[in-house]
Amino acid sequence: MAELTGPQSGPGSMPPIPASVQLLAVAWLRWRIFVNGMNRKRPKGTRQVAGVVFAILLRLIVWPMLATLVVAPVAGSGFFAWMAISHGHPQRLASLLLGITLLWQFVSINGLSIAATIQSFDPASLVRFPLRFGRYFVLRSLLGLMTPSTIVGCLALLAAAVGICVADASLALPALVVMAVYALMNIYLTRMIGAWMDRWLANRRFREIFSMLMALFAVSIQFLNLHRISTRAPGVRTSWLLNVLHSSGSYLYWLPSGFAAQTILLAKHPLAASVQFAGLLASTALFAAVFAIRLHKQFLGEYLSEGVSRRAQAPSAPRVKAPEPQFAARSASVASGGILSPVVAACLRKEWLILTSNGTQLIGLLTPLIFVVIFSMNRAFSSFSSKYFLPAAIAYVLIAAVSSLYNIFGADGSGVQLYLLAPVRMLDVVLAKNLMSLAIIIVQVTVAWTIICMLARTPIPVSAQISTVFWTIFVVALNLSIGTLRSIQAPRKFVPGQTRQVRGATPTNRTSSLLVLGVLFGTMLLQVPIGYASSYFGVPWLAAWIFGPLAVAAVFAYAFMLRNAERLILAARDVFAEELCKA
Amino acid sequence: MTTPAIDTTALTRRFGDFIAVDNVNLRVEAGQFFGFLGPNGAGKSTTIKMLTGLLAPTSGSIRILGGDLQANSAEIKRQIGVVPEGLALFGRLTADEYLQFVGRMYGLDRATTLSRTRELLEFMQLAGEQKKLITDFSHGMQKKLALAAAVIHGPKVLFLDEPFEGVDAVAAGTLKAMLLRMISRGVTIFLTSHVLEIVERLCTHIAIIHRGRLVAQGSLDELRAGAARIAQAGIQEGGAPPSEEKRSLEQIFLEIVGADREGNPAATAPEQELSWLS
Repeated sequence: MAELTGPQSGPGSMPPIPASVQLLAVAWLRWRIFVNGMNRKRPKGTRQVAGVVFAILLRLIVWPMLATLVVAPVAGSGFFAWMAISHGHPQRLASLLLGITLLWQFVSINGLSIAATIQSFDPASLVRFPLRFGRYFVLRSLLGLMTPSTIVGCLALLAAAVGICVADASLALPALVVMAVYALMNIYLTRMIGAWMDRWLANRRFREIFSMLMALFAVSIQFLNLHRISTRAPGVRTSWLLNVLHSSGSYLYWLPSGFAAQTILLAKHPLAASVQFAGLLASTALFAAVFAIRLHKQFLGEYLSEGVSRRAQAPSAPRVKAPEPQFAARSASVASGGILSPVVAACLRKEWLILTSNGTQLIGLLTPLIFVVIFSMNRAFSSFSSKYFLPAAIAYVLIAAVSSLYNIFGADGSGVQLYLLAPVRMLDVVLAKNLMSLAIIIVQVTVAWTIICMLARTPIPVSAQISTVFWTIFVVALNLSIGTLRSIQAPRKFVPGQTRQVRGATPTNRTSSLLVLGVLFGTMLLQVPIGYASSYFGVPWLAAWIFGPLAVAAVFAYAFMLRNAERLILAARDVFAEELCKA
Repeated sequence: MTTPAIDTTALTRRFGDFIAVDNVNLRVEAGQFFGFLGPNGAGKSTTIKMLTGLLAPTSGSIRILGGDLQANSAEIKRQIGVVPEGLALFGRLTADEYLQFVGRMYGLDRATTLSRTRELLEFMQLAGEQKKLITDFSHGMQKKLALAAAVIHGPKVLFLDEPFEGVDAVAAGTLKAMLLRMISRGVTIFLTSHVLEIVERLCTHIAIIHRGRLVAQGSLDELRAGAARIAQAGIQEGGAPPSEEKRSLEQIFLEIVGADREGNPAATAPEQELSWLS
């Protein structure tokens, strides 16, 4: 402690800290976090074996998918760039670069939640260290470069440069330089969008509007219907969107992609190429500047939480909010001898209040139904036999709905301690949570079912409907059983409706997500041989006969799980404390 | 006249319509152990965030060690240490790694960083936990580590936001030992705490903030005198006379923030309320 000296001089008398020291320190921090993440504690015994099996399955499924996602755009970009130059369509280079940018940015925005699970610290927290703004800007520009979208985007641009080189070796140098600057432009565009979205998403109202806009965007993309909208020429079916893109080709040259493409194509005319390159540099500088404006606000110190302003708006006089009359009456009737016990009713009420206060979650519940409407209206889908379309659509609705069953305590966080401390049976708590999820599933499935029946071109056979009912009960009960077990053994703290880049923005971990998909697809696949056998032997009720007993068995399995929930939860108290109660 | 360690002029912070800190003029002399008190939501943490450059003031100025915080934030941050409210540790690092990172960020060379890291971990009794990730630390261990990180670069001013909250007596003893050692070497300490006994025992000067406004500032004796004047005014309005004995900081605090009049309705609640409590 000899280093602690008294205050004898003001600021400015110390030698400046070299930039390399601080940059290397942050690089070392990221490395250590990465290494420590690899060396995390692993479970023992059967859970270890199960973990290894899941890890292998996950890799077998995810790695080929990832490889395809990387190889396809990279190889495609290289090939397309080569084609554009060698086949005399150089103007298509601008479209290619625009396509890469759109894909890059779209994946980046949608990857926020994935990044949240990987990200282990908030880079904005670096403002507390003695950094100058310039260094903070550099650090924030560098941190997060190893995201999938950036890696794939850079590789695609490199492949495009190689494609151009192969087609015309004289364009090698300008192609490489321009692609490097274009990559930088994309990186700053991503950073700019991310930083401003982070700012706006701090506002709950904006989060809800954003979720709505994303849902609308997804819907509108479906209605663009690239292959269905024809031109006036009889018999010629072409894309309306591609026509628009072709006719607006000249405007593309005013975008950064146009500047980049023109710089390469005009490489033999240095003056014209310089003007285009200046345009590309200016757009890169513009995105960097807008990003820097946001960072500077952060650097000076800003407060994004809505807590304080909400407190300011809250009325001061009535301190205790009166219960809603309808629900209070219902609770009272329940408590005085209704179907549900007071504990189950109280837990249900809490789940209901949390659900209804979360606009983002409510929008999330509506989204699959919107897609069912779209799929049902689409000829390509409706031509698919309605007896197969119905279970497929219900399975689609269930993917999102049953995911919540796999982490029923996650949203409670440290509040789960109340259940463990209060004189209540954990069985009642689990039952209440499952009842709420079940109610949501029933509503969603019923609405989806009604939509499909209304929009189906041919009536759905009763046998198919009955077998789908049994299949749905079987799948939901099975997911309830596995989900409850998973909720107890692998809980994960999360904040409902959270869309900012933080840990805990997603309700389930990768293993649970894999389980949900595995159960749904596994049971869906069961329908294929059953459906075939049913047609082959001319027994339309075969599927119902098979799924009926399976549904009963699954319900009994769930009842068995529920009976053991109390014991399992008490045995897993330490897991709860570790995963849910830590800050 | 010496340069004050902390000097604010008309410091104000608004959140929408809500004024969290209202026109605060603070002056903390170098080498003082300064206690900054106030009820929950009074504006203590907001003030500390502004004083450490984590939150921009809406208006007013902040001078730390004579330098303007807004204009020289990087230089000033080098000379201050902060234990913030949320601790802001990187949970996926070990204590050893975290201290090394912080040391390097403050510009210490590798050898100094390593030796101070070792020394601090020994002092804080964390040396045996080197393999453990911070996320697996207990709350008290995290507080000790946050303090170690705040002092590794030898700050001249130390800001502590609720350093004793949720800390056991043993850990609190370690923290106090560290703070007293720093004070003896001339470091200025600015501390917020709800544990008034600790503030009374450690702090030489105290300021009290209430509803965003600074309502008292001075040494404990000066606060006693101020509280006595308030109590005298209370007698004239029909209140109870103050006791003759030397009052504790808690009594002074309650008198100054007026908890028994407006801040705390429970203090004047009729006997029959909450009668069901056994």
